Amino acid sequence: MKSIRSVVAVVLAAGLALLLAACGSSSSSSGTGSSSSSTSSSSASAALSTGGYKSPLTEPLTGGKRGGTLNVLQEIDFEHLDPGIAYFSVDYAVVFATQRPLYSQKPNSTEESPDMAEGAPEISDGGKTVTVHLKEGIHFSPPVNREVTSEDVAYAIERGTNPDVANPYVGVYFKSIEGEPTDTTGAPMKGIETPNKHEIVFHLTEPKGQLVADALLLPLTAAVPKEYAEKFDKNKPSDYASYEVATGPYMLKNNSEGKVLGIGYIPGKSATLVRNPNWNPKTDFRPAYLNEIDVKIGGTSSVIGRQVLEGTNVVQNESSVAQPNIRLAAEKFKEQLEISPGGGDHYIGVNNVVGPFKSVDLRKALWAGLDRTALDKVKGGALVTNVATHFIYPTINGFEQAGGLKGPTGPRFDFNEHPEGDMAVAEKYIKLAGYPTGKYTGHELTTIVASTGDPFEEQAEIVQQTLKTLGFPVKLTLVETSTMYAKYCNVPKEEITVCPSVGWIADFADPFTVLDITFNGTAIVPTSNVNWGQTNVPKINAAMKAAENVVGKEARAKAWAKIDEELVEDAAAIPFDWDKQANIEGSDVNGVGDIWNVGEWDYSYTSLK
Amino acid sequence: MSTSAVELLPSGAGDLSFLDVGGIEARSPLQLFWQRFRRDRVALVSLGFIVFLLIVAIAAPLVVSVLGLPGPDVQNLNLTDSFGSPLGPSWAHPFGVDQLGEDVMSRVIYGARVSLEVGIIGTGISTVIGVVVGMVAGFYRGWVDTLLSRFMDIVLSIPILLLGLGLGAACALRGCVKGLVQPGLATIIFIICIATWPYMGRIVRGLVLSMREREFVEASRALGASDMRIMFREILPNLTAPIIVYASLLIPTNILLEASLSFLGVGIHPPTPSWGAMIAQATPIFNTAWWFMVFPGLALLLTVLAFNLLGDGLQDALNPRNAQ
Repeated sequence: MKSIRSVVAVVLAAGLALLLAACGSSSSSSGTGSSSSSTSSSSASAALSTGGYKSPLTEPLTGGKRGGTLNVLQEIDFEHLDPGIAYFSVDYAVVFATQRPLYSQKPNSTEESPDMAEGAPEISDGGKTVTVHLKEGIHFSPPVNREVTSEDVAYAIERGTNPDVANPYVGVYFKSIEGEPTDTTGAPMKGIETPNKHEIVFHLTEPKGQLVADALLLPLTAAVPKEYAEKFDKNKPSDYASYEVATGPYMLKNNSEGKVLGIGYIPGKSATLVRNPNWNPKTDFRPAYLNEIDVKIGGTSSVIGRQVLEGTNVVQNESSVAQPNIRLAAEKFKEQLEISPGGGDHYIGVNNVVGPFKSVDLRKALWAGLDRTALDKVKGGALVTNVATHFIYPTINGFEQAGGLKGPTGPRFDFNEHPEGDMAVAEKYIKLAGYPTGKYTGHELTTIVASTGDPFEEQAEIVQQTLKTLGFPVKLTLVETSTMYAKYCNVPKEEITVCPSVGWIADFADPFTVLDITFNGTAIVPTSNVNWGQTNVPKINAAMKAAENVVGKEARAKAWAKIDEELVEDAAAIPFDWDKQANIEGSDVNGVGDIWNVGEWDYSYTSLK
Repeated sequence: MSTSAVELLPSGAGDLSFLDVGGIEARSPLQLFWQRFRRDRVALVSLGFIVFLLIVAIAAPLVVSVLGLPGPDVQNLNLTDSFGSPLGPSWAHPFGVDQLGEDVMSRVIYGARVSLEVGIIGTGISTVIGVVVGMVAGFYRGWVDTLLSRFMDIVLSIPILLLGLGLGAACALRGCVKGLVQPGLATIIFIICIATWPYMGRIVRGLVLSMREREFVEASRALGASDMRIMFREILPNLTAPIIVYASLLIPTNILLEASLSFLGVGIHPPTPSWGAMIAQATPIFNTAWWFMVFPGLALLLTVLAFNLLGDGLQDALNPRNAQ
């Protein structure tokens, strides 16, 4: 689960990621190791539609003009550019241009493509061994210059457990590697073997080979030269990022000693990406058209947006472009707007344990009464949202099996049938909950804690108004996004009734990464809890445990779609928005965004006209 | 009541005809004040605006109803376009609507309530605290003065917006000070009182320091009056004018402080309309919905201006020497 915290605010911070998928894994027979989206059906196509605007799904990945300098404007600074730490969409835009993990995704696909790897991962020994062969001829950028070996990949993963590196997800996806997580010192892991320079083998304590194989597309697997990086990793915290070398087509500008800080990256001001002279295009599928990428940090998103739309060789890189600029682009600069589906989802967390919504009927009443189209409209309408009807979102495997755009239907799901809200159905469920007037007449206060800022405040007010209409006594509190998560919604003992600003984005396209940690009762923790409703239904927990070991993409899609349906029937939370990311570019830019990484620009495919 | 100078003299007091100035009437301090104040047209207009604002705030539901406007928290997303941008001014919604389709004029009218409540109540409490502390410090002098004055200095050195942000966050959900300060309006007033009472306190202290040496105080003391009586029955009435003037100038400061805190998301929470919060919500969409910022901004500007001009007028009328 990757943080896109700033504006989209889908995830709090690294802390929650540590807890991400505490339980379970997916498994399958050996094969591609991919868990990709099911995007072939008409419903899925509709979900991925961008209303005629440019989309990563329709942008050509080849034939771009070579050369030129792209200017990037972004309001916020990077969090971490070290591939072993980075876990933020804005960081990923640079990390995936400068580093090559074992596997990666093309902009228009959630399929894993072998990157530093020669081919698909080989899962054997009943899912307890994963073997990857590396390509030859991949070299580190200056000053290291030498060829990448499997030991560099091993060190990259091992240093993730170093507390001074503190990778946020190594304990989630790689915890089954022998020697982890008890050995959290960054020392060599017993379970990582490098028989030769171009082969790496992962020995696991459990048959979770599929999960490990899927996770090999994360930047933690980007090679790091031990003899060069070790001295930086001994610092507290590691300052390898200030001297990092690259394996991708670009590198952060550095001096002869490799120093990046103050040269290729000036915190709060700029970053400069130049071509990696040691990058061999024959080993890579990225076209890497641009010669240089200059990132300017600072300013205000709404002002930056106008500069970009009226500029030339410039793009805006932001978690979320300001809504007025999206509108301006849609009306006057249509060719400079790209919409990426697959930006995650948002839903309303309702406390299943404490307060009025421990009653499933009252949860269904709120679901039925809410105008979900209104919640989406204040975010920008259909251009940047699809009305959510269940939890597995477009681009995630299992979306179609879970009902596609329409979601589960039938009498059991009548509360889900009218996205614009249906008060008659809401009253029906309130009566079923034991309130014969059709209005809630209990006295339990409904506390709402929401994020400040646009559109979260407006969405919270819509929820508040709906609750009042249904008779609930309501108290709305607005706090900063980070406070909302860290102090209230992620802390079960705070007993917040409704958290309307929460959301989720998957690390890769397996439904496990969308449903498990967020709805598995065994994953509830006292702090940094992301099972916001504290859903803990034994039947669903058991179904998840079984689904973790289901083999095969289609079978996994079906298994997790069934769980998705059960979560909807339980009204565990109220989904209202499948996000789409709007990206804007200058008039002479052929920008290409990703359908993953929240839809950020992909600099390795972007070119100038 | 007007009385000629001659009528005030005892009968048979000799030939006092030279005192008969015929036709000239003595005036009470209030009359003198009013005579001077009404010459100040700007102050009069300001007073009229404030009275109008008070009436509108008190009768907000009636005013909104008479104008045919929806209530301040009536949401109507049909009044936004397909991008979710609010529609501009029209006959039905003279000030336009916000992102939720709520009528901006209705919210501006109701927002006056918050501003005036905070301005007047906050100033009232600050004034009471400031006057009491200032009087005690100025009257007793010595270590009491030192203690209270340094305390005021400390309070004045607190960055109030940061304090507001901190308290706002701490009191956000369940209140603070053992529940005495609840989130919302009470938090804002609490913060404002903390911030502004020392200003009044220092002014009062300074005045009391000089006044306690005056003859009428000495006379009172000689007659055996208690400290409390001297402070509150002898000195305080002589401080009325500066206190009124300074309080009138404190009101717009407090209104602005409320707007600033609401702008920063502290205190007044939706759907209660507050001008500061409205301006904050309007900021990201100013490009496409200018009306959402301009009208609450104008309301804030005019209100603060009116109170400031009224304060100046009061100052001139109550202390003509300064005016000259």
